[in-house]
Amino acid sequence: MSALLRSFFLHYISLMDILAKLQILSGAARYDASCVSSGSKREGPACGTGNTSSSGICHSWADDGRCISLLKILLSNDCQYDCAYCVNRSSNFVERASFTAREVVDLTLDFYRRNYIEGLFLSSAVMGSPDKTMERMVRVAETLRTEEQFGGYIHLKIIPGSSSELVRKAGLYADRISVNIELPSQASLQRLAPQKHKEAILAPMALIGREIASSLVERKTSRLAPRFAPAGQSTQMIIGASPENDFQILRLSEGLYKKMKLKRVYYSAYMPVSDDNRLPVLAAPPLLREHRLYQADWLLRFYGFSAEEILSDDAPNLDESFDPKSAWALRHPEFFPVEINRADYGTLLRVPGIGVTSAKRIIAARRFSAITPEGMKKIGVVMKRAKYFIICSGRSFEKTDRPAALLRQQLLIGDSSEPVLPTQLVLPGIFS
Amino acid sequence: MNRYLYDGTADGLLSAIAWILEEEPCPEQVALAERKDTLFEEGFFIGTDATQAEDLLFRLRKHAPDAASTLYSFMLAEKEGMESSLLHYISLVFTHGDKVNGYLTHPAVRDIVAVAKKAGRELHRMKGLLRFEKLRDGAYLAKMEPDHNIIHPLAWHFSRRLRAQHWFLYDVRRRIAARWNQGTLQFGTIEQFTAPALSEDEKKVQALWQAFFKTIAIPDRKNPRLQKSNMPMKYWKYLTEKQEE
Ligand code: SF4
Repeated sequence: MSALLRSFFLHYISLMDILAKLQILSGAARYDASCVSSGSKREGPACGTGNTSSSGICHSWADDGRCISLLKILLSNDCQYDCAYCVNRSSNFVERASFTAREVVDLTLDFYRRNYIEGLFLSSAVMGSPDKTMERMVRVAETLRTEEQFGGYIHLKIIPGSSSELVRKAGLYADRISVNIELPSQASLQRLAPQKHKEAILAPMALIGREIASSLVERKTSRLAPRFAPAGQSTQMIIGASPENDFQILRLSEGLYKKMKLKRVYYSAYMPVSDDNRLPVLAAPPLLREHRLYQADWLLRFYGFSAEEILSDDAPNLDESFDPKSAWALRHPEFFPVEINRADYGTLLRVPGIGVTSAKRIIAARRFSAITPEGMKKIGVVMKRAKYFIICSGRSFEKTDRPAALLRQQLLIGDSSEPVLPTQLVLPGIFS
Repeated sequence: MNRYLYDGTADGLLSAIAWILEEEPCPEQVALAERKDTLFEEGFFIGTDATQAEDLLFRLRKHAPDAASTLYSFMLAEKEGMESSLLHYISLVFTHGDKVNGYLTHPAVRDIVAVAKKAGRELHRMKGLLRFEKLRDGAYLAKMEPDHNIIHPLAWHFSRRLRAQHWFLYDVRRRIAARWNQGTLQFGTIEQFTAPALSEDEKKVQALWQAFFKTIAIPDRKNPRLQKSNMPMKYWKYLTEKQEE
């Protein structure tokens, strides 16, 4: 962009009204997957029953069916960095806009008072420098909390490379903070986001983890100790822009949950935004893969599975035709059939088609009397898949000893194609 | 089978249930219905006793808090013709305690829990879908037409959330209103409702919300079916973001 054009552009930006800015900066945030209440993302079985997430009330559902609960916007899309996979990269020609802190504060309050939203989810491109950007984002949260006594939800994204002082401040005002891990390995990060360094991402993550832990300890001794990001820390990574396989990704997530104590890892299917030759050519964003990863993630967090149980070096990618739990069940015929009237909670959870809700219902109902096959329907357990894997007081629903190949067919009714496993290159993970 | 009647009020229902649980050796074999005063109506009428009703609620809350909240949600549904099921449900609660809500293979438990769930779901939904408009005098007004009579718990929810505002809720079909102002919550009925004037910047803020609503959706992933199943069209009438369509 020529200097003249640029200055004209900047002038135009300063005159731009809130409506135009909002359109640009909410449009730029729409692909951000880490919505606190992604109830409509069908993330695995537990969502199928219509659960909304813990923090949440959905205030509306957008035209794509996703739940809207937060005012999700960028503070600015005027980026200094040039990450290959991002629409806002500096070398791309898009309309640029930036909010002032006051504008975001007013929007949030106006929306919150009318019950449009639960709160604010603020992220940003790197505007000037990481610290300059982070400073303005923190100012938004600080003004909302201290001047306006805002009690709603605030989620701030940490800009990689901002000072630990600002990270600490962000955690004092926000309910949740997150640092995007962006790509599943350091090699990919170096290739596609050369200005972002692994340390700039992992250092604030570790800092946040420590602050959360110490604030919890302090609050045990004094209720007046400040709360630090009480809703915890999450992160997001882009799937399909780099060659890591699902096994590497799941092991990374497992590490983030266990070592970094993250609350959530979000996966975001790569949306082709440029013809940069560092990026794979995709006909469409890998949405099925994203969906399968969410299901597998769910198994890690709520169903007691480990990454090694779900995938292995020999079969490093999730099956396209089956959800990961069904795929596990098909590989482990010796585990089944499960006796509904005796199995413990953890065992019930391993049955395809039985989620957290159903498992709890079964345990609650069998306190009164043994559950009969008819009773299973009455308490609302969906039998479509489960029936191949269970017996009730010795009675089976379907022949539970059919050969694996036949069972695969049964589960796939109407879709007889054998799953195709994509082969992908293997690169070392970011923790290696 | 013994058959009992009550006067059709909530207090009447609860005191009749309390009476039956006290007097009947086998409450699960008994039927209870509203008195319609038809010529051939059979049954023994139980008069309303508000203290009995209150006492029942109190014991229920102490004995089985989950079941008490199920009962509360059930009452929001204003369902007719389910008195016997309710009687059997409460009788089961007093023998089994809270875990009764898991006894879904029992028809009475299943029916009561299903109705209560539906009411609870609408209450939860309305906490999100209610839309306030700012009026010229600075107060906020939200109109709604819910299936269940949820204005009380809804108003209570907003009394904690929008504490600093002066606001009204108005159930258009039932003509009931709630008002929150400076720390007090009041309820009343409205005979004649005239739409008050909106504040000057109201339309501007609404336009911002509509713009946000449009741009946040991913254009090539339109899914009107999913949208409607999460947000049924019966609620669209008062949704700011659905006004232009
Ligand atoms: S820093 Fe963020 S906004 Fe800027 S180009 Fe990279 S990913 Fe995009």
